[in-house]
Amino acid sequence: MSAEIGYTTIAELSAGYRARKLSPVEVTRALLARIEKLDGALHAFVTLTPERALADARAAEEALGRGDARPLLGVPVAHKDIYLTRGIRTTGGSALLADWVPDEDATCVRRWHEAGTLMLGKLITHEFAFGLQFPGHRFPHARNPWNPAHIPGGSSSGSGAALAAGLVHGATGSDTGGSIRGPASFCGIVGLKPTYGRCSRTGVLSLSWTLDHTGPMARTVEDCALLLQALAGHDPADPASSRAPVDDYVSGLRGGVRGLRIGVPRNYFFEGADPEVERAFEAALATLRGLGAEVRDVRIPSLAATHSFLLIMLAEAWAYHERDLREHPELYGDVLRERMLGGALVTGGEYMQAQRIRSEICAEVAAVLKDVDVLATPTSPKPATPYAVATDPEFGFPRSNMPPFNITGQPALALPCGFSSTGLPLSLQLAGRPFEEALVLRAGHAYEQATEWHTRRPAV
Amino acid sequence: MSDELSLQELRDRMKAAGITIAEHRLSMVRKLLSDALVHVRARDWRASKTVEPAVRFSAGGEGRP
Repeated sequence: MSAEIGYTTIAELSAGYRARKLSPVEVTRALLARIEKLDGALHAFVTLTPERALADARAAEEALGRGDARPLLGVPVAHKDIYLTRGIRTTGGSALLADWVPDEDATCVRRWHEAGTLMLGKLITHEFAFGLQFPGHRFPHARNPWNPAHIPGGSSSGSGAALAAGLVHGATGSDTGGSIRGPASFCGIVGLKPTYGRCSRTGVLSLSWTLDHTGPMARTVEDCALLLQALAGHDPADPASSRAPVDDYVSGLRGGVRGLRIGVPRNYFFEGADPEVERAFEAALATLRGLGAEVRDVRIPSLAATHSFLLIMLAEAWAYHERDLREHPELYGDVLRERMLGGALVTGGEYMQAQRIRSEICAEVAAVLKDVDVLATPTSPKPATPYAVATDPEFGFPRSNMPPFNITGQPALALPCGFSSTGLPLSLQLAGRPFEEALVLRAGHAYEQATEWHTRRPAV
Repeated sequence: MSDELSLQELRDRMKAAGITIAEHRLSMVRKLLSDALVHVRARDWRASKTVEPAVRFSAGGEGRP
């Protein structure tokens, strides 16, 4: 029963609750049993909260009895462990915070709780959400359910692994250079990096203020839309939070892509791409064309300088961590520590030039998005990296297809579009104009419903 | 200016910043910064337009492009 429950969609779960075929308490017990059985090998969770989950489930059961119709009522979720949780340990994946128990919830945690979700626990993150899987972590690394010899991506590694293994129905992630979309890509699930300012960062440990985004991860586009609906909206406590109206992300999902103009940036995103990734991507474009979308090539030359975003990320991470790095260097994993110290070596002038490059990229992308509605790219140029490669301290910061949309702040969705010959998931990235999450989700949903990739399960 | 960050320049910057990086990690940090600096160092910034360092839509939500 637990595998069947673990892989239901949120809509199916809600329908089961309302038809009295399922109960939140039974679902919670089934998932806790599944976590008990599988997580010893997967390491997706850093902290389990069974008592809290069962208390939430009982509350959801009572609310259902009163006819409460909230769409996320009784939906099992877990949070990346950089989201503060009141009364529950929040480690940031770091020895520095290994025993820290915050006295307040992050805004996103509170919003999902108010929406009726039930919290199963906290999900492992790469140390302080720095996107690479270094040795020297205080906590074990999460494993990729599709193949434990490959990484699940990061830094929202536990979120990706837990969803792919059917342990939760929704998870929070954060994305500074691809940390929602990377695990979504490598674990064969769906992840949305919303527009910068669309979802609150209050109560979420920062990596890089001007690049950090919070957002939902799930197994289907519709689940992602339902979860985003409860997260999105102005938060006065977050200085970057937007007052833009929140769209209805769910009701428009079935609008299809007929007439939608999809641009394919043929430069940058295909450099060094695995041929299997390219084939899967071209097949995805053919599917979208078949659904009525108009697909055309575009060029965004300034993206050649994307990698300079690292100067921004490193300098801002140093600004955030400087005092702890100077006073408690031994509490950082040694490889992460030395890389973060690199942020102290970025000059003020170099930081500003990187921001000028950022402005050029923003301007070019905005110009392209006057002629097309959505951009499509492979989410990652390669499938999940082998563990032995990714955990080598000399493994560099690889060129990636995701940072361009951290630079621009526009919404970007990652969703499954195939598998490699070795059985690893491949992923399609769709990016839209700022605050047009609804359109991006609609395009993703149309593609997803025309394919079966999202229905495949790893043999865990 | 060389496009590559030299080991000596890395040491000079460490001294100026008042930090120490383990000797066996210097090549790793030098590569990280060199890769990130490629496009910044390759350009003559005097020829570039002055542009404000911010995304172009309003994070306050007033101005969709």
